Amino acid sequence: MPGLDSAISLLRQFFPPDLSYSYIRAETAPLFETLEIAAGAMFLALIIGLLFSLIIGARLPGSRALYALLTSFRSIPDLTLAILCVVLVGLGPSAGTLALTLFYSAAMGKIFADLFSSADPCAIEALHATGATRTMVAFYGLLPLRLKDLLTYGGYEFESAIRASVIVGAVGAGGIGTELVGSLNMTDYHRATTLIIMLVALIASVDFLGFYVRRQPRLLLVLAAFGAAAAWHHWPHLRVVAQALKTFRTMVPPQLPAEAVRQLPTLIGETLLIAVGGTLMAVICAVPLGVAAARNISPLFVSFPVRRLLEALRAVPEIVWGLILVGIAGLGPRVGILALGLHSAGSLGKLYAESLENVAAEPVMAMASTGGSTLSIAGFAVLPLAFAPMTVHTLFRFEWNMRAATIVGMIGAGAIGGALFNAQQLFFYRQMMAYVLITWAMIMITDAANVRLRKYWRVSEDL
Amino acid sequence: MLEINDLVVRRDSKSPAVLNRISLSVRRGEKIAILGPSGAGKTTLFRTISGFLPILSGSVSVDGVEVSGLRGRRLRNLRSQIGMISQRHDLVDRLGVHQNVMAGALGRWTTVRALRFLLRPTPSELEEARRALSRVALERKLRSRTSDLSGGEHQRVAIARALVQQPLVLLADEPVASLDPILSGQILSLLCSLANENGFTLLCSLHQPDLAYEYFDRVIRIEAGKIASDEPRQPASSSAVEVAVGA
Repeated sequence: MPGLDSAISLLRQFFPPDLSYSYIRAETAPLFETLEIAAGAMFLALIIGLLFSLIIGARLPGSRALYALLTSFRSIPDLTLAILCVVLVGLGPSAGTLALTLFYSAAMGKIFADLFSSADPCAIEALHATGATRTMVAFYGLLPLRLKDLLTYGGYEFESAIRASVIVGAVGAGGIGTELVGSLNMTDYHRATTLIIMLVALIASVDFLGFYVRRQPRLLLVLAAFGAAAAWHHWPHLRVVAQALKTFRTMVPPQLPAEAVRQLPTLIGETLLIAVGGTLMAVICAVPLGVAAARNISPLFVSFPVRRLLEALRAVPEIVWGLILVGIAGLGPRVGILALGLHSAGSLGKLYAESLENVAAEPVMAMASTGGSTLSIAGFAVLPLAFAPMTVHTLFRFEWNMRAATIVGMIGAGAIGGALFNAQQLFFYRQMMAYVLITWAMIMITDAANVRLRKYWRVSEDL
Repeated sequence: MLEINDLVVRRDSKSPAVLNRISLSVRRGEKIAILGPSGAGKTTLFRTISGFLPILSGSVSVDGVEVSGLRGRRLRNLRSQIGMISQRHDLVDRLGVHQNVMAGALGRWTTVRALRFLLRPTPSELEEARRALSRVALERKLRSRTSDLSGGEHQRVAIARALVQQPLVLLADEPVASLDPILSGQILSLLCSLANENGFTLLCSLHQPDLAYEYFDRVIRIEAGKIASDEPRQPASSSAVEVAVGA
């Protein structure tokens, strides 16, 4: 099989990684820059998101409009925002910091607002009953009632921001992502492997740190100080604002030439194909992997290595999978499907395993008392009980993959992301802006359809 | 003090009335028990008096102020005159006991003072919280975490918060629903003695007729959103126990 041979031969070029001291030392600066982008953006996004969510939670004037704005703004993928920011403020970490600040302000603002909305209504009403103002109720009720959840979500979002700071680097927004794309474009695969190893190590370290921060929230103060310093260091200079406004004027009104309009159905179709195909591939892989990783179904000698495999699959972001696979699968939607499928298989496999492990013990014990085998108990009790949470995870993954489908397009998978990236590279800013708006609309429609599907299947988001 | 005339309240326009043409006149300092099965409309009545539910028809006035149609500052001013405690866990567990107690003062504080108190309470503010807690025999818990309190202590902190509020009317919504009989007696005795000392009007919803007749001046029964009976305390059960709570 010549295709397989060429794939194996290409994969061989990634090994051995360049582990020379001089190269690793040279790459610690962009690695640190990635961390700075994430920490700086998260510091600012926490402040902005918290402020917005308190306004919404306290139902101050304009809160509904603000919530709608946050909901729609978070539908713009982080990499799309990064492209916009690179155009507006230039290449480098300032663009990355700005893009992630915008993205996570909206994301955390919405999540925190949802958390505040579901705060214990009795305690909130009791505070209102004292005659307190809405602002007072926010600080005496909403904030303390939800502080623990805010810290937990903040920690998760920081881990997510690290991955995102690598991703935004791929379009020139600084950090290790820029270096990685540079290595792959220069076919310097040994060094690309080194960077991927460094990246996986960084994500693993942040996961480890996140575990300690959740146990010792005071560590957040240290992180906040680092974030403040990073934000100060990388925030776009004021003099850039005038230039950014000037550039922005060249992006509006958005416009698509006739040829691009004719191609639009194909681009949208390809994006959907990548999202649906990637999710489908992930589900097909994740169901057996999830069952194998579930500790209440599979023996330890199976579940332990499968869990490590799932960790490895999801540790590599979709865009990095795409960059690796583009040499093997070639340009086009196929590489996007494979990239999304591999990363999502890692995420869904873990979530499926947790869903299977978290089923109520009583029905499983009742089924076990019939004397059935482990697999028959899994089929008759565990799987049916875990079906609802697994469905919700799959639907959320599809939402995620819609965003990711536009992202992987930028590294050769085609679709709308590819068209957007090409428009940016060719300085067709009005066309680029039109693609940004189309991407945003597609994701908004998918999210709305997903909400309807969850309601139709009566599966709850509260897992 | 509290005048309710032909009050009708619905959850929404299509559902049946939760409160159906209720009329009630309450004098200053009166202590009234409201009895009725779950779903009879007791909580709805209290929430309507506090301005949390819209009035479909009829009227509610507290100390001459009409509740219906109040908004913003005027609604907050009215609420600051009406204390509320309930069976539900309506304290904020992550705040300290002193912060929950002084939340009763939010209606008369500025926002800046409220935020400053969270960060740096003054000795006089802490003394006010301590005094309120001493009235419910819990001054030793001033600096405790609210999440460490027992069910009975939780309820007494809620009462201390209501005391700091200095209300004209205190609405106690099933305050002893989850407490054992001895503790229930202590809490009701405490509420009644505080009402006597401070001169506020007390409306307390209960499920237990024996407790209602033992501690209150007047007992009103609500059934299916209507007042089924309204009678003074029976003379035979006038031996309300003056229990020193926690002593």
